[in-house]
Amino acid sequence: MFYRFDGFTRRLAGPVTAEVYCPQGLRPVAPSEAPKLIFATPAKMASEAGMAEHYLGVNRVPDLQKLFQKSDGIPVHLKRGVPDKLLYRTTMALTIGGTIYCLVALYIASQPRNKK
Amino acid sequence: MAHQAHAYHMVDPSPWPLTGAVAALLLTSGLAVWFHFKSMTLLVMGLLLMILTMIQWWRDIIREGTFQGHHTPPVQKGLRYGMILFITSEVFFFLGFFWAFYHSSLAPTPELGGVWPPTGITPLNPFEVPLLNTAVLLASGVTVTWAHHSLMEGKRVEATQALTLTIILGFYFTALQAMEYYEAPFTIADGVYGTTFFVATGFHGLHVIIGSTFLVVCLLRQIMYHFTSSHHFGFEAAAWYWHFVDVVWLFLYVSIYWWGS
Repeated sequence: MFYRFDGFTRRLAGPVTAEVYCPQGLRPVAPSEAPKLIFATPAKMASEAGMAEHYLGVNRVPDLQKLFQKSDGIPVHLKRGVPDKLLYRTTMALTIGGTIYCLVALYIASQPRNKK
Repeated sequence: MAHQAHAYHMVDPSPWPLTGAVAALLLTSGLAVWFHFKSMTLLVMGLLLMILTMIQWWRDIIREGTFQGHHTPPVQKGLRYGMILFITSEVFFFLGFFWAFYHSSLAPTPELGGVWPPTGITPLNPFEVPLLNTAVLLASGVTVTWAHHSLMEGKRVEATQALTLTIILGFYFTALQAMEYYEAPFTIADGVYGTTFFVATGFHGLHVIIGSTFLVVCLLRQIMYHFTSSHHFGFEAAAWYWHFVDVVWLFLYVSIYWWGS
């Protein structure tokens, strides 16, 4: 009979049944060094550990910080490249086109409707 | 930027103030053109430009704050003052509608029959759906606080769930209000009662929709790891706004739905 220190409960714990019937010294291929002490901390299953991260996506903030902090002189609204440029040009086209259309519409609206 | 010796944010030149101003021009002219010529083209262009401007401007603010680190403590202080002033202005906006309501209801004119609710108006029962709406908004105030505390304690999943619950409650409120509007036995054209009722509750409903959108953006940002336990002003601003909307509802409920019926 021998005891082992349990790192989780901070107490000496009894051996597992199999160890009683197979003491280390009698086994022919047993390693001479004591096995690494395993503390009884709650072990996490591989699937359980990555659960939260898996269903909520990966943290890409550090990558994006690197991308947006690059000092290349590009203003923040165009820093992400092609998608930014497309969105910006669409908005600008609508701004200019809209202004012209608006001025024309207001000019027409300012003309007298009935000429009698 | 690399040699900056102070904590303030020097913004990049931005096109959004210009596009926003043009959107305002197109919206106002678009409304006039719609009223006079029954053409909605200019109005739709204005709405589209406004939405594009809002998306890109706020996207850039997220980039500056979360990705470029420009929202230092003194910058955050400015953002806080800005949000407080904005909400204060919103308080006065609603104060105007409450003024109109009390002006009309405290001394009802002979044209209304000298009574409030005016003769011929059947108001909504305040202890049916409006009371449920009160409970829903109060509960959403609780869940948004729960989300905030979870966020501050680094409980990521819990914060996400509480925020989702808040948004669901917000949408539930909007759905109930839509139903209530559909069932209402009076319209916006039914004298000063209908006008004050629908303008005040309608603008409140608009603010609920805006607040829900703000919270949805916060939920997406929370899922994308934008918030830390000590730096999440976007979320705080959304929570302030949500509480403001909640408080306005309490006043609407007590004044217009309950006392006013």
